[in-house]
Amino acid sequence: MTAVIRAEGLTKFYGASRGISGLSLVVEPGEVFGFLGPNGAGKTTTIRLMLDLIRPTAGLLEVFGLDVRKQSVAVRSRAGYLPGDLHLYERLTPREYLRYVAALRGLEGLGEGEALSERFELELDRPIKALSKGNRQKVGLVQAFLHRPDLLLLDEPTAGLDPLVQQTFNELLREVVAEGRTVFLSSHILSEVQRLADRVAIIREGSLELVEAVETLRARAFVHVEATFAQSPPQEAFASLPGVRELERRGPVVLLALEGSADPLIKALARYEVLALDSHEADLEDVFLTLYREGSAGAS
Amino acid sequence: MRASVLTRTLRDKWRSFRWWCVGILAFVALYGSVFPSLHGNKSLDNLIKSYPQALKGFVGFGGNLDIGSGAGYLGTEVFSFWGPIVFLAAAIAAGAGAIAGEEERGTLDLLLSLPISRVRCLLEKLAALVCEVVALGIVLWLLLVIVSAVAGMGVSTANLAATTIALILLALMFGSLALAIGAATGRRALAIGLSATLAVAADVLNALAPLASWLDSAKLVSPFYYYSHSDTLRHGLNGTDALVLLAIGLVAACVAPIVFARRDLSTS
Repeated sequence: MTAVIRAEGLTKFYGASRGISGLSLVVEPGEVFGFLGPNGAGKTTTIRLMLDLIRPTAGLLEVFGLDVRKQSVAVRSRAGYLPGDLHLYERLTPREYLRYVAALRGLEGLGEGEALSERFELELDRPIKALSKGNRQKVGLVQAFLHRPDLLLLDEPTAGLDPLVQQTFNELLREVVAEGRTVFLSSHILSEVQRLADRVAIIREGSLELVEAVETLRARAFVHVEATFAQSPPQEAFASLPGVRELERRGPVVLLALEGSADPLIKALARYEVLALDSHEADLEDVFLTLYREGSAGAS
Repeated sequence: MRASVLTRTLRDKWRSFRWWCVGILAFVALYGSVFPSLHGNKSLDNLIKSYPQALKGFVGFGGNLDIGSGAGYLGTEVFSFWGPIVFLAAAIAAGAGAIAGEEERGTLDLLLSLPISRVRCLLEKLAALVCEVVALGIVLWLLLVIVSAVAGMGVSTANLAATTIALILLALMFGSLALAIGAATGRRALAIGLSATLAVAADVLNALAPLASWLDSAKLVSPFYYYSHSDTLRHGLNGTDALVLLAIGLVAACVAPIVFARRDLSTS
């Protein structure tokens, strides 16, 4: 089966400033492909290249086996796009706007838009300028899905959505994938991508750091544990525990990174008087740093 | 009718179009009400006859400044003064807004993520511009036909149509230019500023040409020369002049999709 998205050595420079460089990836049909990276890493650039809104400096980019430049109209007719920075026609109502989008896609009425709006509880007849950020985002989602596209290009799709709507969105994505359609989802939030995606690419400063199944990545993710003790524990108290690294020590406060099972650490902590314990999932930067450390260790 | 970029754009224009019409109506009514007090005023006629020809050419339309006659009055007041201002303002605003306006507002990204080519998008925007300016022209023409009859100006309906057509072509030329600049750069203010500056320069060049002999051939590069010199209010449409205006507009209209299709769209 042909890949839905194939990029080889894809490079985009904006004048002298960096866009993306040498990006190669393959997205298979029926998967949710998470595209993870901090803001400004090149996620939006990659998506806009697929839609022929901007043109690559070098490299190959195919969607559905079609050249994104020469056959861009054919690509766009099968793709749905939600921009990260959503701008809608303020004077129109969602109904007028969605009818316009549907008409330009060759559909009668709103296409699937009516049913999707109902699902997202989107009010169709108030002017867009009167809508909250969350409701605008719903309009953006509905227009991306209304023609049952084979490929969804979603740039930070859950920004501004309340948790209930996010749940509806998650269900929708699962249905889309169950039908064999494909989702390319960009985000800077690790947990979001972990929850939704099958595979993840991590992009940083315009280059692909790795492409990995989420399961594999999850095994590598770690949590931060911050323990406040009544008295400072010995320097080497936690050094030899499996999956534990001591990151920082400020008097009686010790910051640890935990990978894998928490049990050995809990048992080790219990030997001292713990006044407070706080743990949270490491953020993306921490995962990156770990990956880099491993990368450079592997290289040397 | 199924919505397209053209029909959507026209619908969006409707609001501002009505205000342009109100403005035209107000001006035409004002000018129509003043004309009877000038008509047949011998001392005014004599005063104007005593003006040097160069001055008449500078202020008047097609070298005429006899504002006591209907054709001279409409030529001087309507077709060489506020008519070009109103029509060029409307056309340049519409042209600059067509692509660059959407790009600056950030709506162009989503529009062009739909399965329409950039060339088609631009051509439909251009068609909307043509519709708007032609509609304004029809409104102006109808009002002038009425005012000319009521105030006894004695300008033929055909000649009013001919002059309005020339005005439409002039406005469309600068409107297409604004559209092309906006499509090439994505910058609306630049498109408006540059087109308006060129229009003013072209007008001044054409107006000054009769005053300085060394400018006489330079006027040939000014679209305003082809718009005004043949005095269409008296002699009807000059085919060559109309074709020149049309040709310049078409060049801008042909360049626009080519440059637009080649570049990166900017994010807002």
